[in-house]
Amino acid sequence: MDTSQYLEIFLDETKEHLQNLNTQIMDLEQSPENMDTINEIFRAAHSLKGMAGTMGYKRMQALTHDMENVFSEVRNGTFKVQPDMIDVLFKCLDALEEYLENIQQTTEEGTNDNEELIRILNDILKNGGTIGGGAAAPAVEKPAQKAPEQEKPADTGEGKTQRWREIKITDTERTLIDKAHSDNLKVYGVTVYVEEACVLKAARAFLVFKALERLGEIIVSEPPAQDIEDEKFDLTFSLIFISGCAKEEVVSAIKSVSEIEEALCEEYETPQAAPQEKSEPAVQTQPAVAQEPAAPAPSAPTTTAPATSAPAAAKPANKPANKPVVNRTVRVDIEKLDNLMNLVSELIIAKNSLVAATANEGSKGDLGAVNEHIEYLESVTTNLHESVMKVRMVPIESVVAKFPRMIRDLSKKLDKKMELYMTGEDTELDRTVVDEIGDPLMHMLRNSADHGLEPNDVRVANGKPEVGSIFLDAYQDGNNVVIEVRDDGGGINIEAVKNKAIERGTITPEQAEGMTDKEIIDLLFLPSFSTAKKVSDVSGRGVGLDVVKSKIESLSGEVEVKNKFGEGSSWIIRLPLTLAIIQALMVVIGDEKFAIALGSIQTIEDVAPEDIKLVQAKEVMHIRGTVIPIIRLNKVLDIPPREDENKNLTVIIVKKGDKQAGLVVDELIGQQEVVIKSMGKYIKVPKIISGATILGNGDIALILDANALI
Amino acid sequence: MDEVKVMDEQKRNESLNRPVERETTQYIVTRLGEEQYGIDIKYISNIGRMQKITRVPKVSEYIKGVINLRGEVIPTISLRLKMGLAEDEITKKTRIIILKLEQHESIGVLVDEVREVVTLDEEHIERVSYDKDDKVRFLSGVGKVDNKLISLLDITSVLADVVET
Repeated sequence: MDTSQYLEIFLDETKEHLQNLNTQIMDLEQSPENMDTINEIFRAAHSLKGMAGTMGYKRMQALTHDMENVFSEVRNGTFKVQPDMIDVLFKCLDALEEYLENIQQTTEEGTNDNEELIRILNDILKNGGTIGGGAAAPAVEKPAQKAPEQEKPADTGEGKTQRWREIKITDTERTLIDKAHSDNLKVYGVTVYVEEACVLKAARAFLVFKALERLGEIIVSEPPAQDIEDEKFDLTFSLIFISGCAKEEVVSAIKSVSEIEEALCEEYETPQAAPQEKSEPAVQTQPAVAQEPAAPAPSAPTTTAPATSAPAAAKPANKPANKPVVNRTVRVDIEKLDNLMNLVSELIIAKNSLVAATANEGSKGDLGAVNEHIEYLESVTTNLHESVMKVRMVPIESVVAKFPRMIRDLSKKLDKKMELYMTGEDTELDRTVVDEIGDPLMHMLRNSADHGLEPNDVRVANGKPEVGSIFLDAYQDGNNVVIEVRDDGGGINIEAVKNKAIERGTITPEQAEGMTDKEIIDLLFLPSFSTAKKVSDVSGRGVGLDVVKSKIESLSGEVEVKNKFGEGSSWIIRLPLTLAIIQALMVVIGDEKFAIALGSIQTIEDVAPEDIKLVQAKEVMHIRGTVIPIIRLNKVLDIPPREDENKNLTVIIVKKGDKQAGLVVDELIGQQEVVIKSMGKYIKVPKIISGATILGNGDIALILDANALI
Repeated sequence: MDEVKVMDEQKRNESLNRPVERETTQYIVTRLGEEQYGIDIKYISNIGRMQKITRVPKVSEYIKGVINLRGEVIPTISLRLKMGLAEDEITKKTRIIILKLEQHESIGVLVDEVREVVTLDEEHIERVSYDKDDKVRFLSGVGKVDNKLISLLDITSVLADVVET
């Protein structure tokens, strides 16, 4: 059966079900006895199984089937939900998400059987709710390995395999390895897993390489070094490494790089018995015998397989083309569509009555009726416009829903008790904004969890409740949407930031003296700035906040920090409702019209020509105690000046951060909502022009970016 | 309008039993000053009358600005200036041809006049040898129709340059 046409629906619904499961299992952890939750989970797992089966995703079906079985028993009261079980269930969800990701990229679910999880689920069934093998926690990891020679270290997590075994070695490398052995050096196979949330994977990989090169020599990596540098790898890379150091030293060197989730290291056995075993990657639980005839492994030292072709051949299965196979969609509330439909019918009516009115016009000349219909038409188009914009709006729920789970995991990882409270998940934002906002928010929450909240004992000592609170509030404020991340932790230590900045040479001690608290907090947003004394792998390398800031700014938003030392800090993100429409001030310069975004405008002043002074050959004006440089827009825009030199000047005071400038224009038209249109790629537009808009009469006005002028 | 013309041309060919299946290309013949230039019809999405062009500051001289084409902002260039001819004189016959290259956004070019559609087969096209001369660089050949010579524009290279600058 050809199911490709259903793929999009499948992906959408599966995502929804998974999100639902995530939320429900979180609930279940809180109240393990809640029958409603259990039923809901059972239903969601059941639907997932059905859908996966229909689409022919066997592995996904198998896993959901076993999850369903467990819940069926819980529902029947055979056994009760236990904390260990929750962990297993979350791992199952992660595995399902991985399948989904694969499907989205390639339409195939991938080759990971997740036999471990299935085995554990079955153990739960057999043992009546407890996870087999006594000690629950380590059992979640991977005890049973079929391949005899694959003795995994105990900390090997789910799905983390010694992937370096998949590296194919060529003659040159084999010689190197043999030489190393004869020189009494050790050869290690290393597989590094980067954290999923890592922003600069290539940079992390680079640091790992750097760290290793200090200890020895890397002879080959998979994917090749160039690909790693170009960030062409998923969350893992493997390498073979020659060194005189002990295994533990290698592992700890890798783990000293932050955002590295796992480093697996084993001594490399020269594969003599089974040369180039495992030509098929990711079949983790298969015995590692070269049994795949499909990809004939270049056997033994005689072959002259070039080094490049081997990794290339091994790649396709785990490194699919990065292009998602489905288009981006927005699910639209049927009510919104009905509303649109109504407006379109009204539009047609309006058009018809206009036609009728103009037809009459010839005989009667009834201009009044035409105007009336035009007004009607106007109101319909305005409404239509609004409705279409609304269709693009989606609630931020889709991004924030994953955060409770993240905080739960963080809480365990950091060993701090914390609770996330969210409000306003139904706040709507433009789809493009919602897609982009997830990462910055995640960074800020991690920041709050890691830096913001004090350790539990410190909290108690300071007379605060032991459990830290993080708040995520979203609400609409005029034409903006505000998202606030707040914690009741220690707040930002201004002095610590100041000292750190001086220590790093970012500012001089003299500069520090004159800086306000706000200015010092702004230092946090500079690249590579972190105040955490201990660099943890949750946050603290200083990549976070500058990334957050640039991301928010690229969405035309801004970040503000409110801080009370000792009582917590709040980070306020302000985003425009939509990127396509802005409030602008329309001005005339020469005989051309321009729009200036209202957001950057502070005041408009009427200035007499004699009030403009020259300072260092630059025009400035003095107003209410501040000296503001004057920019004559006609000069910037190559427009011949108007004749009336002696009249008062109209100056628009714009602000960027703490800097101000006065823009001289010839006339003001007024405030207007303008739709931003792209100017296309053919013209390399100067920076001062941020776009164009179409005016009511069909003319085009360019939009000036005041920020680029200051 | 122009689409109708194209249809007619095809129909006429058919009715005259001309061998249409031969390698033929249709060109829109435009006038720039005294010269005639042909633009491959497959790149043309629209031909419109002169309309208000909004100047964009600080761009190359031949970029005249942007126009509003049914709610889209389309950049418009002067083919005359691009080809090294004198500045445009706007007349009643001035037209803006909207070109659409695959993979690219639309772009408008200003021409003095749009004359007709011609169908040329390879026989009537003389390929010009590539020369470093700026003007020839933009030509893919010269077409001969009824004793007239039409310079055939290689639109891709005309615009490739625009994209670069």
